[in-house]
Amino acid sequence: MCQSCHVRPVSTYRTAIRRGTGTRRFQAGGSGKGQAGLTTHTPHAPQAVTLPASLDEAVDALAATPTAVPVAGGTDLMAAVNSGRLRPSALVGLGRIAEIRGWQYQDGHALLGAGLTHARMGRPDFAALIPGLAAAARTAGPPQIRNAGTLGGNIASAAPTGDALPVLAALEATVIVAGPGGARREVPVSHLLAGVEMLRGGELIGYVRVPLLHAPQVFLKATGRTGPGRATASVALVLDPARRSVRCAVGAVAPMPLRPLEAEQWIAGLIDWDDNRALVPDAVTAFGDYVAAACIPDPAPAEDGSVQQLPPAVLHLRRTVAALARRALGRALS
Amino acid sequence: MSYDTVAVDADGGAPFHGIGASVPRDDVDAKTAGTFAYAADLWAEGLLWAAVLRSPHPHARILSVDTTHAREMPGVHAVITAEDVPGEALHGRGRGDRPVFASDVVRHHGEAIAAVAADHPDTARMAAAAVIVEYELLEPVTDPEHAFEAEPLHPDGNLLRHIPLRRGDPEATGEIVVEGTYRIGRQDPAPIGAEAGLAVPRPDGGVEFYVGSTDPHAHRDAAAACFGLEPERVRVVVTGVPGADADREDPAFLLPLGLLALRTGCPVKLAASREDSFLGHTHRHPTLLRYRHHADGQGRLVKVEAQILLDGGAYADSSAEALAAAVSFACGPYVVPNAFVEGWAVRTNNPPSGYVRGEGAMQVCAAYEAQMDKVARKLGADPAEVRARNVLATGDVLPTGQTVTCPAPVAELLAAVREAPMPELPKDTPVEEWLLPGGPEGPGDPSAVRRGVGYGLGMVHLLGAEGSDEVATATVKIKDGVGTVLCAAVEYGQGFATLARQIVQEVLGLEDVVVAPVDTDQPPAGAGSRGRHTWVSAGAVERAAKMVRTQLLQPLADTFGMSAELLQIAEGKITSYDGLLSTTVVEALAGKELWATAQCRPHPTEPLDADGQGDAYVGLAFCAVRAVVDVDVEVGAVRVVELAVAQDVGRVLNPAQARARIEAGLTQGVGIALTENLRTQRGLVRHPDLGGYALPTALDAPDVRLVRLVEERDVVAPFGAKSVSTVPVVTAPAAIASAVRAATGRLVNRLPIRPQAAVVTGQ
Repeated sequence: MCQSCHVRPVSTYRTAIRRGTGTRRFQAGGSGKGQAGLTTHTPHAPQAVTLPASLDEAVDALAATPTAVPVAGGTDLMAAVNSGRLRPSALVGLGRIAEIRGWQYQDGHALLGAGLTHARMGRPDFAALIPGLAAAARTAGPPQIRNAGTLGGNIASAAPTGDALPVLAALEATVIVAGPGGARREVPVSHLLAGVEMLRGGELIGYVRVPLLHAPQVFLKATGRTGPGRATASVALVLDPARRSVRCAVGAVAPMPLRPLEAEQWIAGLIDWDDNRALVPDAVTAFGDYVAAACIPDPAPAEDGSVQQLPPAVLHLRRTVAALARRALGRALS
Repeated sequence: MSYDTVAVDADGGAPFHGIGASVPRDDVDAKTAGTFAYAADLWAEGLLWAAVLRSPHPHARILSVDTTHAREMPGVHAVITAEDVPGEALHGRGRGDRPVFASDVVRHHGEAIAAVAADHPDTARMAAAAVIVEYELLEPVTDPEHAFEAEPLHPDGNLLRHIPLRRGDPEATGEIVVEGTYRIGRQDPAPIGAEAGLAVPRPDGGVEFYVGSTDPHAHRDAAAACFGLEPERVRVVVTGVPGADADREDPAFLLPLGLLALRTGCPVKLAASREDSFLGHTHRHPTLLRYRHHADGQGRLVKVEAQILLDGGAYADSSAEALAAAVSFACGPYVVPNAFVEGWAVRTNNPPSGYVRGEGAMQVCAAYEAQMDKVARKLGADPAEVRARNVLATGDVLPTGQTVTCPAPVAELLAAVREAPMPELPKDTPVEEWLLPGGPEGPGDPSAVRRGVGYGLGMVHLLGAEGSDEVATATVKIKDGVGTVLCAAVEYGQGFATLARQIVQEVLGLEDVVVAPVDTDQPPAGAGSRGRHTWVSAGAVERAAKMVRTQLLQPLADTFGMSAELLQIAEGKITSYDGLLSTTVVEALAGKELWATAQCRPHPTEPLDADGQGDAYVGLAFCAVRAVVDVDVEVGAVRVVELAVAQDVGRVLNPAQARARIEAGLTQGVGIALTENLRTQRGLVRHPDLGGYALPTALDAPDVRLVRLVEERDVVAPFGAKSVSTVPVVTAPAAIASAVRAATGRLVNRLPIRPQAAVVTGQ
């Protein structure tokens, strides 16, 4: 017995449940009417949460309650709710939509359901398909987060540190958005992240269309600790042997993933695609510096022409990006 | 004796109760099964929920506080501000300088301004947000170096304490002089269970708290003074304490809660959010240290000059004690004939600093060990060898003029960690499986990883210092063969309840011993800090148990005409030395209940004088740590591979618990060394959440090699046992920094170590 268990002047939630007062279990924690006779405590009305079984039903549910907020894994949303920053009047739960929790193949592409969890994407069968996304999913947090958090949620939250985002940007993935009346439209993920195109009211992210490249893909991320943590910088790099191109995206250093297009073209031109993708080692190092300089440029000279120095922390970030990009290319070509 | 031998003994049939056995905690099943009722789980019929309105500004004048809208919200029962405090408006440990609610000036981000009680936590939060406060923003003083000449932030001024320590010859010089400036960040105690508690009004107009307080009597007194009540009408019942390594549920948390309960006449519950918790409790003192070490040609220290500046934050709290520790141990466990240390603790508009394990001692340890590395580098000598030439021993004199009378086996500890085998390289496992800096699936590249080995020697004082009265009272009773301990020493994870059970098991030869819950109706046992419960409270328990033993045995001894010392109790049976008498404890009791109450009061200490001199400390504890780290020198990622530790423990009372406490302390040290820093920007706390404040995870926790636990008994300590938790926290960061220095060749003069400080650029 613990020190505090002999005398318990007040009952606890847990003893209440154990005694079998089943109704209490689902109350959010209220005391009935307060002294003032007015109470703000109402157990959540059951109709405030809808659990549609298909994507179109979900879109209809959103149309019926325009103020409702869609929720999939809830790893970002519920944190906002719990801290009081967000008070949704209703929720549309996407967890029961089976069609978006798997993937299918479509003319050289994979159509990934938005409800795929990080844990699912991290498994070997998925990794054989899209290794870059699998690597990002495996580092996307502790197991509890990976079990709940979804691909679609990562895109919808669009956090700078979202681990799937640089991979999707490097893959040039497109998002298939479901709208009212069974409408579907395709938006490049980079357009969504950069705000070129937005999700309209009542629309949901249904699928992500990703090309199957059959070539090495690497995702590397730097964090502050050995255990899971938010990225301080991340690099996704994919090879596209069919188009003889290298595509690279840098995450966490800007509000959205950055693509160093010139560096990509330059290095793709140096790789001997016919000879086992050979590349001189110096070029790998130069690629890292090229990517870093492109993503974290030198500040413009001051008006008097003097050269401005980046702050030490930013210089270190640039060095980190360079090291990650160099290692990513090295791993992809090895 | 190493831990491992003890573990083997325990597994091989050693006693499972009594002193020296690895008795498990009695709440272990409930906590692992998730059925332990923490303070946040408390419930009372008709309870209201509290929320606190906190200042969004670090420094501002409050022009007006309008609570009208908040009061009118349905479901809101009370809104209180500074005007509603009936008793003393100010509270604080040592110096009462902290208001319950800010009324005229806000002095730090997150200072409480008003509190609300409502029938739902969301309503309470919304009502708190509906309190309209008009601020006139003032320029915050956030750099402690600017606090001296800044306008006073508080009527008490900006200087919280100044200690000039002078010892020896100021003109002494050495052949080698090394200098350094060091900065230590703001560690947060970040208890995994955030603050929570329940206040219940009493029919007599008083109030009862059900909280996880670690110092119930002091908190009761502070609450009574604030409420304008006699202390007898305030009762603190300690219940469901989540782990703590600092003061828990301090008055800043309790007072709004109690005031709301008194005002509404209803039970009021407050469960702090993570943000509330980060903003509401005190942190480790961020510290700026400047050092100059003089050493002779062999690396023996001649003189140490130091300036230590502690950022006390907005209110004094325990800054005076932290500064005393920092100044007293500024030279570390080394013989330093001439020491000139000047320390200041100042007030700023940063979040308040207070008691966290090893406060003061931890910051200076990081600095003096960095200086020892510098001396070694300048000499071209082995850093461990330079340390060995200077170590303190029993009979040496500290810079405070106090002679070390307790065992000080520093040389032995250092030798033990130097001789310990190095962690094995993962030669036989494939490269992909190596755990490199950056973690599994991380960007680690074996060709960029360098391994470094560093040493740290640390010391802390045990028990309160400078004349504070460290008394504890305990009661032991025995009835029907079951022993009960009543002692107001709070079990907050440090294992006191287990130790108390073991002591009574040992003295009274009983297996069944329970430790009663703690409340303020019991006589005080003091705060659970600086290992005082292991020393003082456990001493009181032992004394009381021995008194019960005498009461039990004396009548028997009288009957048989022998002295009570010739009788033994083991496993519930009383036997005489010759085996003629044999009875059981239950029979000897004959239905009686035996009680005894005893006090333990360590020998008195004196305050530091105007030159920082004085016998200020009751006991000292020492520790040596050897850190082995891997550093990815391109991205600056650090992974602590292994910490080998040798520690002066006096006596091991519970081997498994001692190991757990040392491992926990070392891991907390890893946090200070690598990740933990509650960052502020112009006084505003950035990222007050566990996403932004990176605690060490299981992957960050290094392998711990317990090389040696030196069991030299301190004669003035009950059982000769010392608390083991604090000194590893103090020493581990210094050792890790030293190892990173060895791996990278960089100076590493800032904790936590930033990635850019662990990079080798090569140019």
